[in-house]
Amino acid sequence: MTQQSDSGREPAMLPKRILVGFDGSPFAERAFEVALNLAAVSDSKLAVVAVATLPEPPGSVETKATIEAATEHYEATFEMLRRRAEDRHLTLETRILVGHPAEQIIRLAAETHVDLVVVGDRGRSRIREWVFGSVSRRVVNHAPCSVLVVRNR
Amino acid sequence: MTEVWARAALWLGLALVATLLSIRLRVATALSEIVVGTVAQLLIGVFAGTALLGATDSWVTFLSGTGAILLTFLAGAELDPVIFRTKWKESLGIGFVSFLVPFLGCAAFAYLVLHWTPRASWLTGVAMSTTSVAVVYAVMLELGLNSTDFGKALLAACFVTDLGTVLALGLIFAPFTLRTLAFAATGAVAVVVLPWLTPRFFRSFGGRPSELEAKFLLLILFGLGALATWADSEAVLPAYLVGMVLAGTVGKDHALVRRLRTVTFGLLTPFYFIRAGSFVSVPSLVAAPASVLGLLAAKLIAKSIGVWPAARLFRYPRTEAAYTTLLMSTGLTFGSISALFGLTHQIITQTQYSILIATVIGSAVVPTLVANAFFIPRYLLPQASPEQPGSADAALEGGSHS
Repeated sequence: MTQQSDSGREPAMLPKRILVGFDGSPFAERAFEVALNLAAVSDSKLAVVAVATLPEPPGSVETKATIEAATEHYEATFEMLRRRAEDRHLTLETRILVGHPAEQIIRLAAETHVDLVVVGDRGRSRIREWVFGSVSRRVVNHAPCSVLVVRNR
Repeated sequence: MTEVWARAALWLGLALVATLLSIRLRVATALSEIVVGTVAQLLIGVFAGTALLGATDSWVTFLSGTGAILLTFLAGAELDPVIFRTKWKESLGIGFVSFLVPFLGCAAFAYLVLHWTPRASWLTGVAMSTTSVAVVYAVMLELGLNSTDFGKALLAACFVTDLGTVLALGLIFAPFTLRTLAFAATGAVAVVVLPWLTPRFFRSFGGRPSELEAKFLLLILFGLGALATWADSEAVLPAYLVGMVLAGTVGKDHALVRRLRTVTFGLLTPFYFIRAGSFVSVPSLVAAPASVLGLLAAKLIAKSIGVWPAARLFRYPRTEAAYTTLLMSTGLTFGSISALFGLTHQIITQTQYSILIATVIGSAVVPTLVANAFFIPRYLLPQASPEQPGSADAALEGGSHS
């Protein structure tokens, strides 16, 4: 599906597959809302991925416990997101992966040939970003497709 | 009792600090607890005397020991018997070699290079022979390799390696008397009877608020643990074996496993890991960093000598073999359990214990970093082929992957 751009000179591609990186935060909620609106107007397939992050190094027994807790939490959250998508006559696909959020979002985006990845920006301080890294920045730098970063303002 | 409650509050306060640190720094709770234990003992020792923490009090020792037993049981119960049955040849081969070569190699290093006593050297071999199933499992999940034949065989091999470690810990230092024979015979009967008895007993009387299942399992673990220590063996040996043989029944009961985890992580393992950390002597580590680096190198080299040819023998390509080798060089839980066993049984000194704990922590971190940086067998990563238009839909519709 294409759409005429504002300039009227060349067609702007609308995404056919949108992937939202979701961590349950208000920033991710906002990113999901934007992606939902975009999917509704462009009639796109919409998928949400949440990533269970493990401690380093993964501890005995704790690893499975972390994955189970994250799976339970995200499955409950996904149910709410699914209802919101249905209200807009959209079908929502969901995935729960394990690992570093940015790496897993990028990997799934490549595997599923999505056209657009939507992520929220947590607006962290420079120090926290230096220590923990920025998921949105890594996704922007390495994703195989366009990335929309929804800012918290 | 005031002193006991106050001391319990101190330990739980330290456990809370360790948990908060592990959440903020995203490190394993066990690692955080070991470090908090080390720092707390150092600071408390300076300001209030080392006796304040009471790490050798009998009730602290009991809670700590119960933590090790339950953690080991739960670790054994994570085995997937189906995977093990389908890949038993590779798993047994790689897992056994992955145990034996580092065990012998690190024991030789401790004896010949560090000039430790024979018993301390054997214990070093045991502590260094382990493989962290959790590290391997996590990396397999992250790379999506857990569903490949390679990933399944590797995971099962890790259980075989840890079984070797636990068997060695339980038997090498045993005196081999009639008591040892009685322990081995009872253990063998338990391993045969429990998988048959447990699910039937739970079906008949379980599922009630009185937590019959937990009481039954604790009875078995404490009973076999008592028998093990009576025979001068180690209580975690039967705990791991019972966990493995009940993996197909108790291990599948997620609600029961979760309740056991709550009591294990909420109360027991903080006592175990903080206590393990509190025995580490920082001055000894500062004085002998070369010993830590040497042992770590010995473990990595020994794992390479053992696992790499075995992996190649099973026709693993070079990159895959190198990756397997490095992942199987990791280890934390059983390494620390072995070291603490050695210290509490006067097999090793506090300096040797400190070196072993530091090496065990290093072996949990360094090989994973090297493996992921240089040796990921990228061709094994799931890839959507452009010739398969349905693959993207299939992946999007794949549901949870965990």
